[in-house]
Amino acid sequence: MKLRTGKFFIREGFRSLKRNSTMSAAAITSVIAALLVIGIFFIIVINIDYAATKLESQIEMMVYLEDGLSENIIDTMETEIRSINGVKSVEFISKDTALSNLEKNWGENSYLLEGLEGDNPLPDAFLITLSDPSDASGVALSVSSISNIEKVVYGKEELAKLLNATYVMRMSSVVIILILLFISIFIIANTIKLTLYARRREIGIMKYVGATDWFVRMPFIIEGIVVGMIGAVVSTVILGVGYYYCSGLVKNQMIGFMSISLIPFNQIIVSMVILLIIVGVVIGAVGSLISVRKFIKV
Amino acid sequence: MIQLRSVSKEFADGNKVLRNINLTINNGEFVFLVGSSGAGKSTIIKLLLKEMEPTTGTIIVGDKDITKYKRREIPFHRRNIGVVFQDFRLLQEKTVYENVAFAMEVIEAPPKEIRRQVPIILSMVGLSKKAGLYPQQLSGGEQQRVSLARAMVNSPSILIADEPTGNLDPDMSWDIMKTLSEINQRGTTVLMATHASDIVDKMKKRVVEIENGIITRDEMKGGYSSEA
Repeated sequence: MKLRTGKFFIREGFRSLKRNSTMSAAAITSVIAALLVIGIFFIIVINIDYAATKLESQIEMMVYLEDGLSENIIDTMETEIRSINGVKSVEFISKDTALSNLEKNWGENSYLLEGLEGDNPLPDAFLITLSDPSDASGVALSVSSISNIEKVVYGKEELAKLLNATYVMRMSSVVIILILLFISIFIIANTIKLTLYARRREIGIMKYVGATDWFVRMPFIIEGIVVGMIGAVVSTVILGVGYYYCSGLVKNQMIGFMSISLIPFNQIIVSMVILLIIVGVVIGAVGSLISVRKFIKV
Repeated sequence: MIQLRSVSKEFADGNKVLRNINLTINNGEFVFLVGSSGAGKSTIIKLLLKEMEPTTGTIIVGDKDITKYKRREIPFHRRNIGVVFQDFRLLQEKTVYENVAFAMEVIEAPPKEIRRQVPIILSMVGLSKKAGLYPQQLSGGEQQRVSLARAMVNSPSILIADEPTGNLDPDMSWDIMKTLSEINQRGTTVLMATHASDIVDKMKKRVVEIENGIITRDEMKGGYSSEA
């Protein structure tokens, strides 16, 4: 495509936006509405993801050892565990540490534990954190195949529930976002159809003097893209400002017994701007392409 | 050269608009296409512009069989044919100059060539002084001359005029006919569909008459009706 042709397209695209200002405003408004909802879902999904990852990373596995192992054996076991795929970190908790932890937890009732120092019944243990909680059962299997291990304990069912919940949430958001995308593409396609109708005379002339199909289509596609872009910019600003205030309000609030915090504004804003602008441009281009394809038959 | 060989056109509803048409128009000819409304004149024009496909037969334009053209070749075929219509089809929000330049812009002509070519063509149709005006500021005849300029600005070898004087009073019509003759004298083949019997009678050009989809008359220096 030649540069001057590009200029021609952009000029024509903007000209028709201005000419059909009411229609354009309606299209932009519908894009804003769609992108706002998409943006809100995006924010919800990645915040749930963020919370889920936080929770998931807290899932730990306790590996209890047989009694009376030598330091050497324990060291070899630790390296062995460390080498298992999916193990993020391994911490050795000696029976003494375990006891003092217990005493701390029991607080004023810790006198009940007095006298145990001499004959500590608690086992030595490894505390394992996992790089991906969905690997938990695999890791547990590998760990229990190591000799001298008494027991491997982790919150199997709770973990499964959590994983299932985040999966369902992610999938349903994808479905809802897809539906919204289709709706906004449909709205843009209809707007462009009206522009096409208003300009059918011009299109007719272009075809009679021998303009190629792509040449005829381009200004309308650009018009669609501009509509999508304007919608994206406006909705980004609204969502950005809204999120900035909400994340400030929610910060360090306790809901029930869980401490809730949102992803910090500056971590979310860049990906949100990129997402909404790309989505806006794509729905604009696809929407106009759909109606232009139908309308411009030579 | 334009050649229709055994061309028939039948619409989906079974209406046979053209039946076995054979017609040859040589380069540089001026041909009137006459016949009552619905006789098939417009269909011939649409077939030549490849807006429609014939049901059977071949159509040669230049030395190519246009029925074999692929969809993406159509625009390039049309660049070789200028068209004017009864209703001018000018863009109201563009000036005379812009309307003519538009035809060059959309085929991606270099701006330098547009700036050179548009004034030449406007002076040819006698509208140099009105280049900056909008169509609604012009008379019907002037508007039709703008559309002639637009049709000719890309130097097509064929000009098709579909009832070009249909909306004009007699004086303006003669104006247009003068311009069309000039265009023809410069070597462009002109095919004009018309109902204007006085014009056809006075011009003494080749006349092809179609009735019910059949060529009923084809005479050199003919008149509008066979008795004339």
